[in-house]
Amino acid sequence: MTRIILSTGNIITGGPSIIRKPGAARSNLELINSLRNNFQAAQQDYAGSPTSSNGNKQENGHSAQEDSRPRIDAWTATEDSVLYIPRIDWTAAGLQEDRAQYEITVKLFFLPNTSVAKRAEFIDEALRLVTKELQVENIDLLIASFPGISFEGDCEWEADKINATMGNEQEEVVTWAALESLHEQGKVVRLGIAEFGSEKLQRFINQVKVPPAVDQINIKDCCSVPPPLTKLANSAGIELLTHGDCTDILPSGTLRELLGHGGQGAGILADDEKAQNGLQGNLIPQWVVKYTAFVNYRGVIENKGYFAGAELVNA
Amino acid sequence: MGLLALGTALDWPDAQKRAQQVREWGIKQLLEIWNKAKYKERDAMLWGDEVEYLVVRYSNEAPKVLLSLRQADILKALAADEELATKGGGVPDLQVVKPQGSNPLPVFHPEFGRFMLEATPGKPWGIGFKELLDVESDMKTRRRIAKEHMESEEYPITLTTFPRLGVPGVFTDPYYPPSGPKLRSQFVPDEIANPHIRFPTLAANIRWRRGRKVQVNVPVFHDVNTPNPWKDPTVNYDLHNWPEDDDVRNGAAPDNFIHMDGMVFGMGSCCLQITFQAKNITEGRKMYDQLSPLGPIMLALTAATPIYKGFLADTDVRWNQISRAVDDRTAEELGEKVSTVLDNITKTPSANEHQPLKESRWRIPKSRYASNSTYISTDPRLRPEYFDPNLVIDESIKAQLLEGGMDDLLATHFAHLFIRDPIVIFNEDLEELDLTKADHFENLQSTNWQHMRFKPPPAGSDIGWRVEFRPMEIQITDFENAAFSVFMVLITRAILSFDLNFYIPIVKVDENMETAHARDAVLEKKFYFRKNPFPNRTPRSTVGSNANSPIASRPATPVSPVEDEYALMTVDEVINGSKSEEHDFPGLIPIVESYLDSVNVDVQTRCELSTYLDLIRKRASGELWTAAKWIRHFVASHPTYKRDSVVDDEITKGLVSAVIDIGEREQAGRGWKGLNVPELARLLGQFRGGCGSNGVKRSSDEIN
Repeated sequence: MTRIILSTGNIITGGPSIIRKPGAARSNLELINSLRNNFQAAQQDYAGSPTSSNGNKQENGHSAQEDSRPRIDAWTATEDSVLYIPRIDWTAAGLQEDRAQYEITVKLFFLPNTSVAKRAEFIDEALRLVTKELQVENIDLLIASFPGISFEGDCEWEADKINATMGNEQEEVVTWAALESLHEQGKVVRLGIAEFGSEKLQRFINQVKVPPAVDQINIKDCCSVPPPLTKLANSAGIELLTHGDCTDILPSGTLRELLGHGGQGAGILADDEKAQNGLQGNLIPQWVVKYTAFVNYRGVIENKGYFAGAELVNA
Repeated sequence: MGLLALGTALDWPDAQKRAQQVREWGIKQLLEIWNKAKYKERDAMLWGDEVEYLVVRYSNEAPKVLLSLRQADILKALAADEELATKGGGVPDLQVVKPQGSNPLPVFHPEFGRFMLEATPGKPWGIGFKELLDVESDMKTRRRIAKEHMESEEYPITLTTFPRLGVPGVFTDPYYPPSGPKLRSQFVPDEIANPHIRFPTLAANIRWRRGRKVQVNVPVFHDVNTPNPWKDPTVNYDLHNWPEDDDVRNGAAPDNFIHMDGMVFGMGSCCLQITFQAKNITEGRKMYDQLSPLGPIMLALTAATPIYKGFLADTDVRWNQISRAVDDRTAEELGEKVSTVLDNITKTPSANEHQPLKESRWRIPKSRYASNSTYISTDPRLRPEYFDPNLVIDESIKAQLLEGGMDDLLATHFAHLFIRDPIVIFNEDLEELDLTKADHFENLQSTNWQHMRFKPPPAGSDIGWRVEFRPMEIQITDFENAAFSVFMVLITRAILSFDLNFYIPIVKVDENMETAHARDAVLEKKFYFRKNPFPNRTPRSTVGSNANSPIASRPATPVSPVEDEYALMTVDEVINGSKSEEHDFPGLIPIVESYLDSVNVDVQTRCELSTYLDLIRKRASGELWTAAKWIRHFVASHPTYKRDSVVDDEITKGLVSAVIDIGEREQAGRGWKGLNVPELARLLGQFRGGCGSNGVKRSSDEIN
C-alpha cells in the first residue's frame, strides 16, 4: 500500500485553469486542470537535465511527451513512505504579509467510499500540509464537505426536502467531533459545513457541541435560497456562503486518467505496456483539501491551491 | 480638495512668464512627496466614486427645459443644512466637513459648469463585499439630498450632456446673452461657468494660450433628411465682438460638423470616475498600467452622449469633445502652419512636421485631456515595444527627477505631464516655495486630464498612492452607476489576484479610444486587446523564498513578436469571452466571477453582485442598449423629430421628462413598469423591478 499526496501549488497566478467556463454552475475542472498543469510543469522543470535552473531557455519545451517522459522519481518525491506528486518545493512556502492581514479558508472534502474511521487522520494530514504551505499556525474557517450530499433541483423547496435524506448523519456527527476539538485547540477559528438544507442543518445543530458558523451552498440561481434555510440560518447565526464545487470532486476514474498514460496523463501508473516501474494497484482517492489565503483589507487572493490524498492498494 | 483657494489669478501673458517657476516648484514638491511616500506600505484597499449631475429646471407646463445656473445657491443650501453637517456630509469647498460616524452622509462639490454638481460618498469605500452593496443606496441618497436642496422644479439628472447647451435663444435659467469677455463663445455666456475665479481664468487662459477659441467639432449624424454637406445653421459668421469671432470666418466650423467654441461644451459633461488606493507605489503603478487598456472598452460600453447643441452627433461618447474643449496647444504645437489658422480636424496633423519651431518647445500630438501616453509599472512584463517611441517629454525635468532619485519610468511619466504650462496661477502662491504643500505639482497634475491618473499621496496626509479611472460616462440611473463602479472594483481585485496582463502597445490604446467614439462602437467596432491575459508560469528553479514576490524573471516562453500578443476583439468578446479561431480570451466577466468563486461571499451578496455583472454582460452582448443608443431611439421615435438630425426643445423636454420619471421611480424603489417611456426595457431590462410586461421577472430582483 502506498500513500500518495497530490498537489497543485499556488494556482491563483496559474493561468486559465482557475477561470470558470461560462454556464458551468459547479465543476471540478479547476482541481483537475490545475493538477494536470502542475504535473506537466514539474515534469518540465525537473526533467533530467538541470538546464532549466537559470536564464537558459529549454530547447525542448515538450519533454513530457509520451515516449520521453522524465523518470518518475525525477519530478516526484518519496518522504516518510508518502509519494508526493509532484515533489513539493517547500522553500516557496509562506505568506507575504503578517498573518493578521489574512482570512485563511480551508475546505476539506471527504470522498465517497472511504473509511470513516480514518477521517481524523485525513483531517490531520490535510491541515499539516496546508499550514506548512502557508506557514501559519491556524485556519480562520474550515468547511467540511461530506460525501453524498448535494443541493440540487429546479425547485429549491424540493431540493431542500431531498437534501434532508442525503448523507450519513451519524458519520457526519462523529467526524464533526474531530473538527470541534481542533476548534477548541484554537487551530481552527470557525467551522462550517457544505450543502446542508434546512432540515438536515437543524438536526445537525441539535446533535453537535459547536454549531457550524457557515453553511456553504450552491444554488444555480443563487438568489433563490429556500426560505426555511434562510430563516434557520438567520436565527442560528449561520452565514450562508456560495461555492461552485461539485459533489464528487475527485472520482477515482478521473484520478486514474490524471496519473495514467492516456493523452494528458502524467504517466505514473503501470497501465501501459511501455510503462516501466509504473505504480501498480488500485487507486483510491480519499480526501481533497482546498485552501485560500485572502488578504482581507485589500480584497486580493494571494494563494489558492489543492492537496489531495489517495491510496494505492495492491490488488 | 478643500476650500477653493482665492487669490489674484494671473492673465495668460503674466502666467506664461511664471510657468517655468511653477513647473520647477512643482517638481520640487513632487520629489518631496515621492521621497516621503515611496516606501509607504500596506495601505488598505479603499476606493471612491464620483457622480456628476446636470441641474435642470423642468415643469410639465413650461414649454422647454432649461439648465439651472443656481449651483452656488444649491451648494450654499447644502452647506447650511445642519443635519447634513452633523452626520458628516456637506460641501467641503464652503465649510469644514468632518466625517462623523461610521456612515457619514455624502459630500457635494462644485464643477466647472454652473449647472453641474458633483457628489461623493462621505467616506471612502472598503472592499468588504457587503459594503459594495451600499454604493447604490448611497448614490440614491446623494441624489435625494441634492434634490431636497433644490427648488421644486429643479432636478439633478445624470445625462452626460444637456442636449440644448449652446443653441440659439434661451437654454439657461436665468438667461444671459452669449459672447462674454472670458469665454468669448458665440454660443454660451460667460455665466455658464462656475464664477469662482479659477474657472473663468482656466477657460480664458486656455483660449489665450491657444491663440484662438477652442474648436469642439463633432461630426453630425446624417439622417435621411439631413442635408449633405451639412452646414451648422447655428454658426454666426457676422459676429464682431471679439477678435476670436474671426475663427469661424477662418474655417473653424467645417461642413458636416457640429461646431462648438467653449470649454463648457466639454467640461460641462458628466462622468463617472473611480479612484482606488493601492497598497504601495508598486501596486499603484501596476494598476495604472493594467487598467489603461480597459479605458476605451469601458468608454464604449458606457456610451451615453449622442447629442450636441441640438443635433444628433455621429459619435456616441463625450471624450474627444472634452479633449478639444481644453486643448490649449498653439498652432505651432499642433504642427500647423503658424501663419494660416486651419482647422486641425480637416488637415493632416503632420503636414508641417519639419518646419522649425519658432516659439514652442515641442510639437505635441495630444491635448492635455487625452488617453494615457505611457506606462509606468515596474512589472517585468512591460516590454519596450509597448511604449510610444514619439512620447514628448521635458528632458530637463526628467533629469531633475532622476537626480532626485526617481526611476526612469516614473520620471518619464511626470516629465511628459510637465510639458504643459500651468494655466491658472495665483500671484500669492509664487512668493515662497512651500515644500509641505503640493499646490504647484497639483497645478500641472490636475490639468493633465488623461484617462488614467496616477495620484501621489497628498502632502501631510495618511492617504496612500492612488489610481483614478476616468473614461466612463455617467449613466442615467444609480443602479447602472453602481453596477459600473462595482464592476471596476472587482476587476481590479481580479487583476491583482490573478496577476493579469492586459498590456498592448500604448498607441493601440490611443487607437481604441478613437474607435470607442463611433456610433454603437460597443456592437459595431473591434478593439485591440491582449489575447492571453495570464501570467507566464514561473519555473520552479527561479521561485524565490516568497511565492508571489516580484521576480525579475525572464519570460518562461520564447518571446513572440508584440503583434502576436493582441487581436481585434468586440466589446462582447472582451467582456464576455470569445471562442474565435485566433484566440480564446476568457472575458472580464468570467474572470470576475472566478475571482468571486475563490472568496467567501454570502449568498445574497453574491446574488446582488451578479445583478450588476448581468447588466454589464447584457450591455456588452447587445441584449441591452447603451444610453446613447436608447437616446437615439428616443429621438428618432419622437413625433416632432423630422429625421433631419435636429433635437428640438420639445424632444429634449420629453427626454428630460423621461429621465426624471426614471429617477423618481428609482428613488421610490418601485421599478419602471408602466412608465410611458419608449423602449425603456431595452435600456434597463428587468433589473430592479423591471420595465414592462414582456420578459420574465428575474428571481434576483425579488429579494431586492
